Amino acid sequence: MTLRSSASKLWIGLGRMDGEWRYMLADRVSFIVACVMLLFLLVTYRAIRKNVFSLEELNLDTAAAMTLLLAATGQTIVLLSGGIDLSVGGMISLGTALAATRFGDRPGTEAVWAILIVLIGLAAGIINGLIITFLRLQPFLVTLATWSILSGIALIVLPTDGGTLPAGWIAFGTASLVGLSSSVWLLLALLLFWGWFRKTRLAITIRATGSMENAVRLSGGSLILVKMATYGLSGIFASLAALYLSIQTGTGLPTAGNDYILPSVAAAVIGGVSLFGGRGGLVGTIIGVAILTIVGNLVFVLSVSSYWQPIVSGVILLLAVLATSLTEKSVRRGIV
Amino acid sequence: MDSIHASGVSKRYGGIKALCDASFQARWGEVHALLGENGAGKSTFIEILAGVIRPDAGTISINGERFRASSPREARSFGISACFQDLPLIPDMTVEENIWFRHEPLSRFRTVRSSSMRKATLDLFAEYQFPPLVPGREVRHLSLSERQLVEIGKALALKPSILIFDEATSALGRSETAWLLALAKNLAESGRLVIFISHRLDEIRRIANRVTVFRNGSTVSVYDVPDVDDKTIISDMLGRPLDLLYPERTDAATSTVALKVQNLTLNHRLDDVSLDLHEGEILGVAGLQGHGQRELFHSLSGVNRARACIELWERRLVIRSPRDTLLGRAGVAMVPEDRGTQGLLLSKSVRENLTLSSVDRLTRFGLIVKAREAGLVEAICRSLRIKALSEQLVSFLSGGTQQKVVFGKMLLTEARVLLLYDPTRGIDVGAKAEIFQLMRDLAQKGYAILFYSSDLAELVHVADRVLVFRNGRVGMVLQGERATEDHILRAMIGKDAV
Repeated sequence: MTLRSSASKLWIGLGRMDGEWRYMLADRVSFIVACVMLLFLLVTYRAIRKNVFSLEELNLDTAAAMTLLLAATGQTIVLLSGGIDLSVGGMISLGTALAATRFGDRPGTEAVWAILIVLIGLAAGIINGLIITFLRLQPFLVTLATWSILSGIALIVLPTDGGTLPAGWIAFGTASLVGLSSSVWLLLALLLFWGWFRKTRLAITIRATGSMENAVRLSGGSLILVKMATYGLSGIFASLAALYLSIQTGTGLPTAGNDYILPSVAAAVIGGVSLFGGRGGLVGTIIGVAILTIVGNLVFVLSVSSYWQPIVSGVILLLAVLATSLTEKSVRRGIV
Repeated sequence: MDSIHASGVSKRYGGIKALCDASFQARWGEVHALLGENGAGKSTFIEILAGVIRPDAGTISINGERFRASSPREARSFGISACFQDLPLIPDMTVEENIWFRHEPLSRFRTVRSSSMRKATLDLFAEYQFPPLVPGREVRHLSLSERQLVEIGKALALKPSILIFDEATSALGRSETAWLLALAKNLAESGRLVIFISHRLDEIRRIANRVTVFRNGSTVSVYDVPDVDDKTIISDMLGRPLDLLYPERTDAATSTVALKVQNLTLNHRLDDVSLDLHEGEILGVAGLQGHGQRELFHSLSGVNRARACIELWERRLVIRSPRDTLLGRAGVAMVPEDRGTQGLLLSKSVRENLTLSSVDRLTRFGLIVKAREAGLVEAICRSLRIKALSEQLVSFLSGGTQQKVVFGKMLLTEARVLLLYDPTRGIDVGAKAEIFQLMRDLAQKGYAILFYSSDLAELVHVADRVLVFRNGRVGMVLQGERATEDHILRAMIGKDAV
């Protein structure tokens, strides 16, 4: 009797909690800001160019964005844990270098080498995680060092741009199914993965680690395992980015990875992932990547110098961070 | 059979003995209070039971079985679960995610089932008749009191047979405290063991069956609660009799108004508050959680920007940020609610913390003059009896010593209007007595003190007048004979006193 009556009291109490939406809003400000920005850019893009909302455009843009998106996916997971992974750049360089030099060896070995590259990425990530936890070093410095090491190895494997990839491998880039290119299917697969992963205990623990490490320890979680998994996943996604890049370019680029380090962080941050850990998700990062990609497109369509792209990207990054901080403050002022 | 039987438990940290041959016995079905000054080893003992740290020596058995937990998970397998004092919750996760963290209900895809989690949360809240908490709200939005409730929920969710509350009531409001005390009693009556740590003897008297007193890392005494008086317990804790917890009242208040506040208004939190704080006066502030007293302190210290007409020593002052209140002798200084996050830089030394707010006075050409700083630090450590080395990290100090460092920092600003927000929260009686004496001495010297406490007895015994806040207004001013706990409480809950 008392149990039931107090339960019903609770429900009534919940119904009366007006203003709960403000908390929900405050928690999602940065994501909403990113959505608004993307919408604005899309409208602008549409105003200058026809056929923006076509299947063809979608296929092309996802293909253009996929390497960055894969790298940013790993980066998102690391950022959620409160760390940062600069070594993705080195891993991407090494991945394309290996693909360009080894895939041609014997026909049919592509699959073996592709798996091997992913395993190398995993191993590099696990080593990052181990160094960070056991030696208690800053993720920034550790991954800066491993980035340098991996970049060096990439140059030993392939000293200059070059090498060719088998035609069958490159064909994957232009393949399509029911009108959707392979990159769109990859995007869907990525979303499916995230839909599952974010609700797993591992993902929750990663997010909790970024938010309050001590709570994880006191709840019996192993920080070593969590960080190994976090950086290991980032390594895997960096290798996948390398493989995708090799499909797109058809050649080995032993320094190409460097172009993805900071954009992968920027995309995640624009999409609402916190640099301090614990907040954000892949959907936001996808929007961040889309924003950066469309900025690139706009610069191209307006046929101004391509040097404008990083300038505009930088301004967008600033705006996103500013809008988030301002909105969060004002929303919070209304609550607390 | 004893539920817990521990003997010879020792633990050292570097050169410091946190626990030294401590023993502890508790039975099923009792509320067993654990008492001691800060630094007496209670928290260390609790952390051993919770599997957070391992003892260097000693044997512990739970229900006759040898207890050796090297992780919180193992301790849980013995049915032990603890509410920690520093509330290790995850701020970016919701109430329910925190409660079920790492034992969430999973689907067959190994993902968390939100619907089952929500239901389990509501069931848990209903079963223990929790004060209202929104399961889907992120913990970073919650007040200290609500966070404590989440921490309690987290411990209860594990369905423990031994439950440890480490100063859980120090963060709770009045009604939540009453709820927790009743809960602890019920849990014990249902055959479980509740280990209850609190500095408030009246709470222990209300619910505990037995009490174990720790001092300097060892067990001093065990009593059946009804058979022992407060004096004995306190002198066991201190190792000497406590003459007077509250210093003798001296009427130092003058007619000079040190701080005049008129028509202070802040959004919906504070509504037209006016008050006069006199030189040499200790002005008490009372109120239930969320009735505006916190916002008053925050507005006066510049954390919140309120609309008001404020005069400090008869000069108009506009407070936009805490910086505006740092005016040397003419300024305002505050001891904030949470010393760990608001009052101190825990990873810095005693010296750095003490001089943090007054560093401007110590510089020549923008550089700190070491000798001047050292002299000042030494003087304040001596006058406040801060028993710590100046280069020691603040995080290793006991709660009472930490609070003295906060006081020291405040006094070094030279401000003579002091805002003390619950300055005795979570510190032991010995340190409390010292702080009350210090407040009296300061008042005697002409300082003006605004003093909020969640413990009404402190207000009655220490404050010269008591302002009772209700719904963001000063509901009543009580003075002299009329300032009794009963009257203050009635005014707090809005029933007319007298």
